[in-house]
Amino acid sequence: MKAQLLCTAMLCAALSLTGCDKVSQAMAGQKAAADIPESAYPERVLWGDLHLHTANSVDAFGFGNRLGPEDALRFARGEEVTSSTGIKAKLARALDFVVITDHAEGMGSTMALYNAPRIMVRDPQVLRWYDMMHEGPDQSVQAMAEILQARAKGTLPPMFRDPAASAKRTHNVWNTHLDTVERYNDPGKFTAMMGFEYTLMQGGNNLHRNVIFRDGKDRVGQIDPLDPTNEATPDKLWDYMDAYQARTGGKVLAIPHNSNVSNGLMFMMSDGAGKTMTAAWAKRRADHEPVVEVTQIKGDSEAHPFLSPNDEFAGFGTNGWDIGNLMLTEAKKPEMYASEYVREALKRGLALEQKLGNNPYKFGLIGSTDSHTSLSTGDENNFFGKHTGNEPSARRAMATQSLGTTLGRFGWQYLAGGYAGVWAKANTRAAIWDALARREVYATTGPRMTVRFFGGADFKIDDLKGDWVKTGYARGVPMGGNLTVGTGARPSFIVSALKDPDGANLDRVQVVKGWVDSAGALHEKVFDVVWSDMARRKQAQGKVPAVGDTVDVAKASYTNTIGAPVLGTVWTDPEFNPAYRAFYYVRVLEIPTPTWPAYDALRFKIQLGPDVVTKAQERAYSSPIWYTPASAKPAAA
Amino acid sequence: MTLRDRAAAWLHEPLVHFLLAGAVVYAMLSGRAPDLGERRILVDQAAVSQLAARWTQSFRRAPSPGELDGLIADYVRDQAYYREALRLGLDKDDEVVVKRMRNKMLALAASEAEAASPSDIQLQELIDKNPARYAAETRFSFDQVYVGADSPKSRDKARMALAKLRGGSRSEDVSQPVPIPLHFAGEPASTVASMLGDSFVASLRDLPTGQWSGPVLSGVGLHLVRVSARTAAAKPRLEDVRQAVENDWRANTARRAEDAAYRRILEGYDVVIEMPK
Repeated sequence: MKAQLLCTAMLCAALSLTGCDKVSQAMAGQKAAADIPESAYPERVLWGDLHLHTANSVDAFGFGNRLGPEDALRFARGEEVTSSTGIKAKLARALDFVVITDHAEGMGSTMALYNAPRIMVRDPQVLRWYDMMHEGPDQSVQAMAEILQARAKGTLPPMFRDPAASAKRTHNVWNTHLDTVERYNDPGKFTAMMGFEYTLMQGGNNLHRNVIFRDGKDRVGQIDPLDPTNEATPDKLWDYMDAYQARTGGKVLAIPHNSNVSNGLMFMMSDGAGKTMTAAWAKRRADHEPVVEVTQIKGDSEAHPFLSPNDEFAGFGTNGWDIGNLMLTEAKKPEMYASEYVREALKRGLALEQKLGNNPYKFGLIGSTDSHTSLSTGDENNFFGKHTGNEPSARRAMATQSLGTTLGRFGWQYLAGGYAGVWAKANTRAAIWDALARREVYATTGPRMTVRFFGGADFKIDDLKGDWVKTGYARGVPMGGNLTVGTGARPSFIVSALKDPDGANLDRVQVVKGWVDSAGALHEKVFDVVWSDMARRKQAQGKVPAVGDTVDVAKASYTNTIGAPVLGTVWTDPEFNPAYRAFYYVRVLEIPTPTWPAYDALRFKIQLGPDVVTKAQERAYSSPIWYTPASAKPAAA
Repeated sequence: MTLRDRAAAWLHEPLVHFLLAGAVVYAMLSGRAPDLGERRILVDQAAVSQLAARWTQSFRRAPSPGELDGLIADYVRDQAYYREALRLGLDKDDEVVVKRMRNKMLALAASEAEAASPSDIQLQELIDKNPARYAAETRFSFDQVYVGADSPKSRDKARMALAKLRGGSRSEDVSQPVPIPLHFAGEPASTVASMLGDSFVASLRDLPTGQWSGPVLSGVGLHLVRVSARTAAAKPRLEDVRQAVENDWRANTARRAEDAAYRRILEGYDVVIEMPK
């Protein structure tokens, strides 16, 4: 099919030459990024989505998305657009930045197939899908599901498996896309960045990465997105990233996502090919992938109850996602979890560093949506679904969502979220990318809580007073940083979390510690460090009593009569062993609030099944701060 | 999908679609429906060449005589079924056909819009129509001190803290620690709103300048605030907002072209709607 569509692509090439001129002329009247000063240290958190698909994505179009990058950008910066199913859509609050990450593989090809003459569709299987797409929205979703299944099983018709043939079309779709992104990038106000998704798979196992550029079209336009078809490990992607940097002088990083549906492949103790990991491979991975997307619509990958039985808050958003791989071509076995959940990966990174000298899994954390509707919706009361087939409707919550099968996953198991909080020194591509590279970023499952986290050797409670942020930077390191402490000192942390100004109060702030002992054994512990109403909620057997619950599911409402708007403290690790490598990250829990199915039930007057999660404690995860013994070989940056 | 893609995709529809689109254009211009009485299916040299060329492009080789015969036979079969279906009126109650025809019409309108480029006068008109949309935001310079969640106790604390601040205490020494700045220098309203909520920004607009006042309620609790400067929204100048206006113009133009084409078509019809009683 791809080859048959080349003609379309080539015509686009001819037309797009004039597009460049228009863009350069249009650059006038928009502040250049160079005019936006960077502050000495980050002063406010920027909110954005680093994972968003438009009609240019091969699956999004098949699922019915007809909104292109321009609609996606207008929506993210706060404008009203009409969704593909005809619903007016608007964010309650604009985002500060967005990266559209359409699948590199077959970029624009479903759209091209759909618009192609039927007479040119020769393959009977492709022809069947073509006809289903034209039949109506439900059949189109089913056709796309079958295409994805066929891909996972390696049974796609030959014409789908020819990366060379789709390269031309990708080139042109990509260049038109970059022009659009340039037109909407407004440094200082709304940053539109360039990127794509490298949809690496082993069978139906998810090894996807988003590739995020620091640069504009002058550099990014020199290369095309890389097609992962026929690849099984990320090595080719890293080669590609190296080549981009060498050729253009630009910068690029990659963000893995949905480790939860990789069936044990995302964070292995071996290298990507299953061979013994070398120090060089470990360094290469850490250099190219400084951040992981820990939470999104297709579940949350922070911690699983199987791995963290003592953490009563583990397992958020794992319903349905922990039964198999992405495509449900293979069921999950318990031994796979350790290579799938982020907390365990951070621990494994310490052990590997102890052994190899380099930590492959030294990453920061972000959340993003992975929405395929062009609409970055992360709020429970305004959720537009994973893809166009489950935009708001009476049936979406209870409908089966397993692509191509009737087993396993249901609509309500999608999460409305998440977003990336970025401590950048300015709202520009360069400043946001630099914050990602130094891991000064955090994840939320949707709410916009502000979270500060500093690690140092000697912070005392009085350091959380006055101009304490300046103190944090002057005498410590922010989230994502590396900590060493002198002899006799203990790691201490300033942590401060503020509720979403339009959202729920906070239940508690926790510090999650992971460490490796001298024998190489891995450990973790979750410390409640500050919580609301501490005088009444006394710790018993190391546990803080539950915050309570004000949710009225029938009314999809809650009240801020419990919890606190702000929680802060200075915490010193009481169990510190200076000889052991460790990491510390913050988890902030909100009080319980209704989930999107509860809002749907009220809005559409539907009955939800007994399994449906109708309330949850949404949360933020900071990037870790790592402690390395002074005697240890320093880790690679 | 960009306008350019749509235009390109349309241009590469097969002859059968091309003819149909041509007929539709003709109908649009002349107000007459295409003649369905034509009983001859002509596969001329140009059509055969095009079938062969498409094959070559797809499979990187010319079709064999047998394959070419197959392409032609398929083309004739499509034509025969298609025309017969139209004669029988099968298109009329088929939602897919109806929607697809509508999409083709939209592609035509959009391709016209794509060719255009705005003049400064047109852009200025857009600004004049909605100056607030393009005006720079109001900017605020202020200091804030956080007191706590809204409660009678916090309001008492706020009164005491206000006295301290008015007596010359530094805001750093009075505020509860929160992860937002104590000092804001020329921040736009939207930035302040993202940290403290819309109601706080609304309050900022009315506070006296140069003195501590409050408590002011935000999305996170009670604050004492000293506004030092407010920069009102300036009248937008084209040179400052050209990109934003041009983006809107481009989006509007596609919509306008679509509306205009629709209105032209609609002029040829009487629309009668009978609501069920």
